[in-house]
Amino acid sequence: MTTNAHVLPPKQAAAAENTPSSGKKAGKLERTGLGTPFVVIGCILLVVICLFPFWWMSISSIKTLRELYTVPPIWWPAAPTWDNYHKVLFESNIPRYFLNSVIISVGSTGLALCLAVFASYGFARFDFKGKPLFQAFVLVGQLLPTAAIIVPLFVTLRVLGLVNTYWGLILVYMIITLPLSVWMLTSYFKAIPVELDEAAIIDGASRVGVLFRITLPLSTPGIVAVVVYSFVTTWNEFIFALCFASDSSVKTLPIGLAEFSTEFNTDWGAVMAASVVMTLPIALLFLSMQRLFVGGLTAGATKG
Amino acid sequence: MSRQSTGYWFILPALVVLAMLIAYPVAYTGLLSVTDSQSNFVGVKNFATVLRSRTTPQAFWNTLYWVGGSIVFQVLLGTATAILLNQRFPGRSVVRSIALIPWVIPSIVAATTFAWMFHTEFGIINYMMTAPGLIEHPIGWLTNRDTVMPVLIAINVWKLFPFVAVMVLAGLQSIPKELYEAARVDGANFWEEVRHIMLPQVRPVLVAVTLLLVIWGLNSITIIYAITRGGPANSTLITPIQIFRIAFENVQFNQAAALSGMFFAVAILIVFFYIKALAAAPGEAR
Repeated sequence: MTTNAHVLPPKQAAAAENTPSSGKKAGKLERTGLGTPFVVIGCILLVVICLFPFWWMSISSIKTLRELYTVPPIWWPAAPTWDNYHKVLFESNIPRYFLNSVIISVGSTGLALCLAVFASYGFARFDFKGKPLFQAFVLVGQLLPTAAIIVPLFVTLRVLGLVNTYWGLILVYMIITLPLSVWMLTSYFKAIPVELDEAAIIDGASRVGVLFRITLPLSTPGIVAVVVYSFVTTWNEFIFALCFASDSSVKTLPIGLAEFSTEFNTDWGAVMAASVVMTLPIALLFLSMQRLFVGGLTAGATKG
Repeated sequence: MSRQSTGYWFILPALVVLAMLIAYPVAYTGLLSVTDSQSNFVGVKNFATVLRSRTTPQAFWNTLYWVGGSIVFQVLLGTATAILLNQRFPGRSVVRSIALIPWVIPSIVAATTFAWMFHTEFGIINYMMTAPGLIEHPIGWLTNRDTVMPVLIAINVWKLFPFVAVMVLAGLQSIPKELYEAARVDGANFWEEVRHIMLPQVRPVLVAVTLLLVIWGLNSITIIYAITRGGPANSTLITPIQIFRIAFENVQFNQAAALSGMFFAVAILIVFFYIKALAAAPGEAR
């Protein structure tokens, strides 16, 4: 905003000098913008680039083996088949991995949300010594190269007996979800007028009461954004799951998918079907919440 | 006074968890890196062993190539997309949603799907290039040492340019209308607006986004590991994968810790110089 303030005055002055009616004139001035051909071609390119892999994945998942391995490739299968899905859902470990992923994602999202709500309220509403330092420390988690802490985390989890357990991964995922959750929620809480808190406290509410009865209900969009963000990132997480969950009882979907596709004789039909199975829940969740999520993310970025 | 201490109680749980998961492991990495597997102090022996290995410099250059190449195209494509999506046209909100899809798809799904599309014999990409005669013979995109890294970078760009687009779009939307109106009075055309209004105004956004992209690039294992596992012949081996290999395939935790420490230091240096360079840049308020 400060830069605007510097840029604006001379230009406004210049505009005002023109004629007294310059305000009206500016309104009638032709809109500049990209020419229609540019916009149309750009949009078509963009849509094709974004959707094609997704579409090819879906098409490949309903092809028979023979249709998958032909040159030239078949654009639309003559006899769509559910065999690949049958294989993935009933003859592989994917359903188990799906369940593991759900448990771990829900667990770490819930835990991160609880911790983040309190921490963000503390950061948004109190002034205390060392606050900038603590805030910086929280964000460091987001900046840390995860590969650099895999080894000590593994050793720590081994000492605690948490390697190959749900709790191990849930805890470790706090590193990824907690910092950004705190960051986003703090900016949401700051946007709520302090006067509301003060009025409630005068009426005899406790700090925690204010948080749960006033601040939280007012920041539902922020909460939703944090939940979606945490769920999506933990659902997709790969490195930690690869290192800390080597047993099939706790392996998550990404690991299962990677196993599927790097074996020697990759069954591409099944791999694509598994990819669809893994993508669907996340795509539905994300697209239904898209507006809220993007709003929350950018609010955090500009106010942070 | 009471206000102050209440604040501490609110942030304490989160700080304890993060300290346990970040501060402790970081300190422990330092300890591991100067000891052997029996916890005897060995000085810089682990560092020397890692540095003497021929894969370490190779992985380092691969990492720079991977991160640098990805970021340049992510930022260019992302910004162009944002400017396009900032135009007014019918169906804009649908196109905006579609543009987010690559970002929504899990990295591992993007990796497997593109691995199938770049398949040498049955891949759709080779077909689309051989059919109109762009190339004569199918290319082994993922097995040829010269093409594998650019292909992986392209996949990474596809995955993350929507993120840049979303952030830049938010920046574009917050530009005050008066700036455009003033420019129009001065007779500016669209490209002049892009150059003199849009790009300077979203510069802070780009700075923040680029920093995030650097960090994510340094962290990203998924796409490379799922497609090539660092091969062929280590040509896509980046340092994070090397750390993983030393730790979990060779089971040399102390050497892995030494390499982690150096990787961490280099990452911090890059981030530090990046922030420093931008702080020194003229016209930057922050």
